[in-house]
Amino acid sequence: MILLLLAVPLSAAALLALARGRAATVVHSLAALVTVAAGMTLAARAVSGLTAAALDGALRVDALSGWMIAIIVIVAGLAAAEAPRYAREGSSRVFYPLFHLMVFTMLLAVSTDDVGVMWVAVEGTTLASVFLVNFERTRASLEAAYKYLLICSVGIAIAFVGTVLVYYAEAVRQQGVIEHAPHALRWTALLVLAPALSPRVLQLAFVFLIVGYGTKAGLAPMHTWLPDAHSEAPAPVSALMSGVLLSVGAYAILRFKPIVDAAAGPGFARRILVALGLLSLGVAATFLWNPGNYKRMLAYSSVEHIGLVGLGLGFGGTLGVSGALLHVANHGLAKSVVFLLAGRIRAAYGTVELAGVSGLLRALPVTGRGFLLGVLALMGLPPFGLFTSEVMIFAAGFSQGQACAAVAGLVLLVVAFGGLLRAAHAMLFGPAPEMDHTTGGWMTALPMAAALGVLILTGLAWPPGLAAALDLAARAVLP
Amino acid sequence: MMTTITNLLAFFALGVTLVLVWRQSWRGRVRLFVVQSLLLGALAAAIGALADRPSLLLVAAIFLVVKTWLIPRVLRRMAAGAPLRPVRPGRSAGIPVLVAGALVVVAYVIMLPVSDLASSALPTRGGIPLAFAMALIGLFVCITGRDALGQVTGFLVFENAIFGLGVVATYGMPGLIEAGVFLEVLVVVLLMEGVVVQMRREHDSLDVDRLQELRG
Repeated sequence: MILLLLAVPLSAAALLALARGRAATVVHSLAALVTVAAGMTLAARAVSGLTAAALDGALRVDALSGWMIAIIVIVAGLAAAEAPRYAREGSSRVFYPLFHLMVFTMLLAVSTDDVGVMWVAVEGTTLASVFLVNFERTRASLEAAYKYLLICSVGIAIAFVGTVLVYYAEAVRQQGVIEHAPHALRWTALLVLAPALSPRVLQLAFVFLIVGYGTKAGLAPMHTWLPDAHSEAPAPVSALMSGVLLSVGAYAILRFKPIVDAAAGPGFARRILVALGLLSLGVAATFLWNPGNYKRMLAYSSVEHIGLVGLGLGFGGTLGVSGALLHVANHGLAKSVVFLLAGRIRAAYGTVELAGVSGLLRALPVTGRGFLLGVLALMGLPPFGLFTSEVMIFAAGFSQGQACAAVAGLVLLVVAFGGLLRAAHAMLFGPAPEMDHTTGGWMTALPMAAALGVLILTGLAWPPGLAAALDLAARAVLP
Repeated sequence: MMTTITNLLAFFALGVTLVLVWRQSWRGRVRLFVVQSLLLGALAAAIGALADRPSLLLVAAIFLVVKTWLIPRVLRRMAAGAPLRPVRPGRSAGIPVLVAGALVVVAYVIMLPVSDLASSALPTRGGIPLAFAMALIGLFVCITGRDALGQVTGFLVFENAIFGLGVVATYGMPGLIEAGVFLEVLVVVLLMEGVVVQMRREHDSLDVDRLQELRG
């Protein structure tokens, strides 16, 4: 099943490099549908406690991986439904293959047990998406792609130093080098060994890992590439990047945390995560008061939410980690919907400047209402799921004796809320321009409406099994 | 025996890295990058031979092909057509070299306690701070590079140093992962070439100061 899930996007990418015209759209849609179906089946089994493995254990999907796979395939499905608007004649042979390649690398990153392979896959996500960031080939997108490639490559190389140090810690433990066991970098093996590993080496390793994977996750102060890349990429790619790619970076950090906690005590990783989380919230809250460009505004809102995830992981405990995981899912849904709608707004208004958009609700009723709901969700208002997960994260902060950090986080959250509200208000209301542009009927908005519906579910009434699944996923990385 | 050889090779590689910081011409820097790669490849091969790790010998061979032949070719292609000016015209390289020297000290402060943990079990542990110093210097070159070529060189030096660190600290990462790393470095450089070509067309320069469209 894991192999099938990985094979579909990979072979689709190969096929799509050859296909053109209508055939490409058909293959793309089919591949996206099968990926979603396979991913949801595998995820459903994994979050009910059935851990799957393949290739002699190199691939392993436990509840946590299953949770991530579900988010990836749902967001990928949403983005795929919108992709044909962007893959025009001639460019579809670049756009579609790289899109599916990006989905493949993300799925590989969360479904492998080997932290080395995970590193390769996370680096692969950058390489697959650089060209997509520069898809429009303007000066601005070129600059964004250059920064993205350079900063993320350097960042991920720093994470490699951390991976080398984890491997070195094993050498130190054995007081001799290390037969080249193929399982030496297996996460499950590391977790068993962790209490015996040198705390000093692992602390150093974690610093490198959090700087490295934190760059991919968009945690401040390593977030500088993020607003550029997320605002310049075509909307489906922005949705994938903001919705799940950031979370894959956070997932990598989450996998290493229990290993470092077991070796060096829980305080070390917590302090770093809480500090970076608060810093990310602060950076985002500052910027959101003066955005200028609505795609950049959404990108900074991603920095804000990844900061919240960092806080949740840092506070820890079942409540903190499951709150962070739920937040990853909620944010993935909300942010991808809003980014996709922002793409439609851009097509209609012809600008990404905030000042150029007004009267959205009257000019584009379907898109405008969806955007309003998505932004309300991103602000963390009830009845949407982000409210619930934020409550869980801050409750974890208070119950884990981190009241000061939790209060600081709440204050920054309110500041960010105000900024987002002000900007969204200016876009949604005011004089509506004459539109000769239609953004497609309400049918094309169905997938996004469904996503918003799920968000209300995670906010108001959890579907049966969600609590158990979330608990199981969080327990995978708790002692 | 093994300790002497590996320490010497790592030490020379660090020396070459320092010269690279000082050297201002782009062609000179590419040549020094090749020399650094040769030394690190030799380091990996030496450990592979002395510690009886045939797989490491293979990794060293691939490393040498990628780093001393493929990547320099792409780098020269990238530079072709760029105005051949010094990396930083009319300015002394004194301060960068001083900073690089300080980074060597920093590397020892960070890595010496960690490398001492391996005690006598790891004959190559003396190379750990040296390789880490190279990594820090590469990062420094990358951050302070004023044009795309300079930043790419810094990244490659950094990446080389991490390979060296992996070799001296763990006798090389598992083969599959090393293969993934080589492939990805190669793809990064090729993508970089694409970006640089477009940059030259758009801006008629590779100066990163021209990249100012996106702010805030």
